[in-house]
Amino acid sequence: MSTLGSRLLRTTIIGKDTPIHKLDPRTKFLYFFWISLLGYIFYDFVLTFIFLVVNLLLAVVGKVVRRILLTILVIIVPWIAIAAPILSLPLGFPWNETIIYRINLFGMELPVYQEGLGWAITWPLRIAVTISAALLFMLTTKLGEIIALFFKLRLPFRALYMIAAALQFIPLLADEVGTIYQAQLSRGLKTKASIVRRVFNFLALGIPLTLSAISKVQIRAIALESRGFSAPVEKTLMYELRFKSVDYVFFAAIIFFTGVLAYIYITMGYSPIVRLRYLFG
Amino acid sequence: MGEDSVVIRFENFSYSYPDTPNVLVDINLKVEKGEALGIIGPNGAGKSTLCKAMNGLVPHFYGGYINGRVIVAGMDTLEHTVAELSTKVGLVFQEPENQLSGLALTVEEEVGFGLAMLGYPREEIKDRVREALEKVGLSGLEERSPFELSGGQQQRLAIATVLAMKPEIIVLDEPVSLLDPIGKREVFEAVKELKKTGSTLVIAEHEIEELAYIADRVIALNEGRIVMEGEVDQVLADVEGLRKITVEAPSVAQLTHILRERAGLEVNHYPIRLEEAVKLYEEVLRK
Amino acid sequence: MSGEPLIRVEDVWFSYDNEVTALRGVSLTITKGERIALIGQNGGGKTTLAKHLNGLLKPTKGRVLVKGMDTRTTPTHELVRYVGYVFQNPAHQIFTSRVYDEVAYGPKNLGLSEEEVDKRVRRALEMVGLQDYVEWHPYDLNFGQMKLLTIASILSMDPEIYVLDEPTSGQDHRWRNLVAELIMKLNQQGKTIIVITHDMKFVARTSERTILLANGKILADGPTREVLNNIELLREAAIKPPQITQLCHELNNRLGTSFQSMLEEEAAEEFIKHGINV
Repeated sequence: MSTLGSRLLRTTIIGKDTPIHKLDPRTKFLYFFWISLLGYIFYDFVLTFIFLVVNLLLAVVGKVVRRILLTILVIIVPWIAIAAPILSLPLGFPWNETIIYRINLFGMELPVYQEGLGWAITWPLRIAVTISAALLFMLTTKLGEIIALFFKLRLPFRALYMIAAALQFIPLLADEVGTIYQAQLSRGLKTKASIVRRVFNFLALGIPLTLSAISKVQIRAIALESRGFSAPVEKTLMYELRFKSVDYVFFAAIIFFTGVLAYIYITMGYSPIVRLRYLFG
Repeated sequence: MGEDSVVIRFENFSYSYPDTPNVLVDINLKVEKGEALGIIGPNGAGKSTLCKAMNGLVPHFYGGYINGRVIVAGMDTLEHTVAELSTKVGLVFQEPENQLSGLALTVEEEVGFGLAMLGYPREEIKDRVREALEKVGLSGLEERSPFELSGGQQQRLAIATVLAMKPEIIVLDEPVSLLDPIGKREVFEAVKELKKTGSTLVIAEHEIEELAYIADRVIALNEGRIVMEGEVDQVLADVEGLRKITVEAPSVAQLTHILRERAGLEVNHYPIRLEEAVKLYEEVLRK
Repeated sequence: MSGEPLIRVEDVWFSYDNEVTALRGVSLTITKGERIALIGQNGGGKTTLAKHLNGLLKPTKGRVLVKGMDTRTTPTHELVRYVGYVFQNPAHQIFTSRVYDEVAYGPKNLGLSEEEVDKRVRRALEMVGLQDYVEWHPYDLNFGQMKLLTIASILSMDPEIYVLDEPTSGQDHRWRNLVAELIMKLNQQGKTIIVITHDMKFVARTSERTILLANGKILADGPTREVLNNIELLREAAIKPPQITQLCHELNNRLGTSFQSMLEEEAAEEFIKHGINV
């Protein structure tokens, strides 16, 4: 129990040395932005799926594909599984018009509409593209680099610290919850109980957790202050952000594909493969 | 010693937290360059507050009311910020994990954090980090996560973060009290190394038997006042005086005190360290 | 003192998430009225073992019997009637806004009558000397008093066995004496006490039996005097015996004596008996 949090911390910071890790965080951030945008410009689930595959391939190169794939599956598959049957049927979606198929359900023949089906598949995939690109960035970039990046983007330092500290704090609190839970179990806390009792139980865990978190934060703030945290000078960044050759290769690829996709957009429209129609306006 | 050699000076210093009055009362204290000062006393006597008054956390961080003043390396702590004082006074706290910055992923970054906050050039940070890690015996762990380290290692890391700032004085507030025996030993070894290299040290500590090896001079606090002050051999041997403030002298000193009371053992001076006691009792018990 | 066995630990193995093996085949029997110290470095398995005694952790292999009940099949809230565990940090358990309620939480969970709860709360607070703080807010107490409060909140459950997890860490000498006295008082009432600690002088004062754990195994289990005088073994485990024990050991080496004291008082007696040249 007591090692859970620290182990979580460790897994988030494993330093690997893949081409993706070597990329400048700015490049990765740009890529995240670019591929997410493409996902929303095109309304074509096959194309969106290709974007997702590209993300996953990059994740393979960065050796982080398992965690990304897992996250995507957990979010996207149930979503599509629930949304597709509902939206593609007659009353499921207000813009349903084009019948692409008829299925037989309990002796009833039901039409399947392209509008609903397209929407039900494209949107989860779009979200999947964004999430996978974001995870690709997060999992392959050191926290220090992210801080350096935000710093370049001129975000205020204190705000940065709050974000970074919170990220590191959560796993430590996980340890804390474990200990508090055990301490209250030792005083006879019952896990099976009435609703009223459970609220009380929640207090028995929540109050010590909050108070001990506050005291941890305060101690840390004092320690930071003692190390010159609020000195009114330009801070030195421990990471130098510098574009390397791998970044230029990446830029070239982004520019090339931007060209290709722009050409496709102009000649074939926003849904070049599935031929969907925008539903609003 | 001349006045130039005084690194810390408390002048009629009194302090009250916003919610607790008279935590420190009428403190007059000088710490000379290169000396190691031990602070002892029961919990609640003001040891921590005294430590925090040395780098300006008291009163800048806590607020409250002060009287008198504290001069650190020529700077009045009331007129300078904690950040400015951070290159003069390095403070190491009790809890190993909670003093990590939470912003650094590796030991190296953690040590460099303070210097980065003060805007030092990156090359200089690297050099100083290497030097500081060497001093506390953590070389080779630069790339590790601070959260992976043992308690003793984390505490030495905390010392290294302070050393990297090259302060004129290092203040340790009960640095081993939450560690296991190995951790305690590691930290005490590191502190003894610092002493050898001539650093000025202030250390608040309950482990009085270890303090005997580190401190040159000791003050005892009780209810916010300095009640004993002197050479380490004098203060720690004062078994009765320490008992009055519920502090136990080193076991060997207590033993000698009992033998003097009960068996009329004549000694000029109570031993406070194991080696001295061995020497003394080898004679006393020889047939 | 020797009496019925209260707890049997039988070849217990335990690993956290199948990754870190914290206990590797630990066996021991705890009998009524014993005062036991669990010592060893952090990560050696002290706390893990202690948490097996009231079912907070269940063995991966082997079993723990508390008064004949297997901890794997008996719910924890049942076991805590018999084994009270005082955690190290008061901040991890205090959650009510009144000292009284904090101490009443445990006995209420045991389903006792209001009268009985009241009786127990008052008795527990008296034992730790907090009887004048009944109506206080726990967070208005100082840290030492908060620790006493956490002890009282277990006392009120009136278990037969107490586990104290590092009661002296970060505390001063006055506190160490206070806890030592409390342990002796409870023991006189027939309670069994198990203390996890790094403080060897405290061990010498309070415990008649000492168990040394390292790497999840029991390295030594015997009378405290024997264990603390096993200098070689303690050196291996990187534990410093009490200063008096070290002194006796050095003198034995030099003078061929056989002093075995651990505390000042007994050393004085032993030395006087031996004869001293004043």
